[in-house]
Amino acid sequence: MIKIDNVSMMFNLGIEKDFSLKQAFINIFTKKSKRKKDEFWALKDVNIHVGKGEVVGLIGSNGAGKSTLLKVVSGVMKPTKGKVTVNGVISPMIELGAGFDPNLTARENIYLNGAILGYSKKFLNEKFDEIVEFSELREFLDVPIKNFSSGMTAKLAFSIATIVNPEILIVDEILSVGDIKFQEKSKAKMMEMIKGGTTVLYVSHSLQSIKDLCTKVVWIEHGKVIKIGNTEEVCDEYYKEQMK
Amino acid sequence: MTKVKAILGNFKRYWFLMTQLIGRDFKVKYKRSVLGILWSLLNPILMMTVMAVVFSQMFKFKVDGINYLVYLMTGIIMFNYFSQASNMAMTSVVENFTLINKVYIPKYIFPVAKCLFIGIDFLLTLIPWLAIIGLSYFGLGEYTCHFNVYFLMLPYVFLCMFLFTVGMGLLLSCLSVFLRDIWHIYGIVLTLWNYLTPVFYSIEILPTKLQFLMHFNPLYQFLNAARTIVLYGKCPSLKTLGILGFIGVGMLIIGSLVFRKKQDKFIYYV
Repeated sequence: MIKIDNVSMMFNLGIEKDFSLKQAFINIFTKKSKRKKDEFWALKDVNIHVGKGEVVGLIGSNGAGKSTLLKVVSGVMKPTKGKVTVNGVISPMIELGAGFDPNLTARENIYLNGAILGYSKKFLNEKFDEIVEFSELREFLDVPIKNFSSGMTAKLAFSIATIVNPEILIVDEILSVGDIKFQEKSKAKMMEMIKGGTTVLYVSHSLQSIKDLCTKVVWIEHGKVIKIGNTEEVCDEYYKEQMK
Repeated sequence: MTKVKAILGNFKRYWFLMTQLIGRDFKVKYKRSVLGILWSLLNPILMMTVMAVVFSQMFKFKVDGINYLVYLMTGIIMFNYFSQASNMAMTSVVENFTLINKVYIPKYIFPVAKCLFIGIDFLLTLIPWLAIIGLSYFGLGEYTCHFNVYFLMLPYVFLCMFLFTVGMGLLLSCLSVFLRDIWHIYGIVLTLWNYLTPVFYSIEILPTKLQFLMHFNPLYQFLNAARTIVLYGKCPSLKTLGILGFIGVGMLIIGSLVFRKKQDKFIYYV
């Protein structure tokens, strides 16, 4: 389903600082050392193959390259080198509520966000009630979401994002959304989606949820794959390494 | 041919998103205003009144043999469409960076949606514009404009201008990702362009040399074609129509090609 072959991703950190007249002027006097340093490889030669129905967990420290990898797979970024092949419709849950407009009501945002996630109008019309029901926000449907608490916004976003039955699901740490009741509900929903034979790429720092869900784990550090394999083994090894 | 089909297929697939983005712009624009969408009508009417007073009453501008008011309004609504739409399209990609960084969306959607959004506003301004032409029968302005069969050519003229604007929007939005200075530069360019286009004056007041150069100004071509129809009751020559199409499609192709080539790099400049 997902084939990641020799994928490398390079960011040029120089872009942020160097490109201004002022900086150019200062550079004349300071003779800055070579620009080479500014290259940052977020991913180096990553190879991962994910088969149909596999639930793959990604673990690693902050800034290890997990999110970058998810972005490359979902098509947000094109890899600098290498190739990503994906067969099937992806539902990216990298960040919830992408494109929510605070000035619009919950109702309007359901359609806007749904369209951004690639749903059709017909699909949204059919599933509208289901989304509202799941989000538990029926009485606030016509309130602009700038007046929502962050928990309410997150609940709405989660409900929109999980309404589909995608072939490939990409999840970046979103299980813990809302109050305790909603957390349980959303966890159950995720389980249901995952158990439904979906192929999943799952990033989390909670080793417990990784162990609960995943059939395989990939451990990434500094953009390189350290280990791929059995969930328990890799998780335990990762835990030991972290605790050192 | 298959390429064209793929592009159209992609367009169709994301049409719903496009309508949602345009709808959002409208809703946000008129949120909390009492008159709401009426402003889209009222605004051009008021603006036209101000311009009409300034240019025909205070400065006493006129163009011999035709209704100056209609001349002025045709120029203003068309130029305003171009300047507003291209300006908003220019900033649209950068403004939506947070979104581009999170979900995969074809990025051309943003500038195109802005051009369509302003396009709806433009269509609404046509209502008071047509009203002015109608009122010229009843003595508004010195000369009467006549509705004629060539008005049917106007959609073609507007379409060409729309394509030209989309092309500009794509080009500018792409360039401004890499060089934010474009935002500031283009503001000045637009002001200059406004004065270099015969919006409120007639091309005849210029020296002959400049008159010739004016033909290289795409906006002059659009304005001139529309005015030929509305004020002189004539059909623009086939050559002119060809030029309009060429400018519109040409700019669209240039804009699309640059945008397509560079769009994968956008993400690094977030």
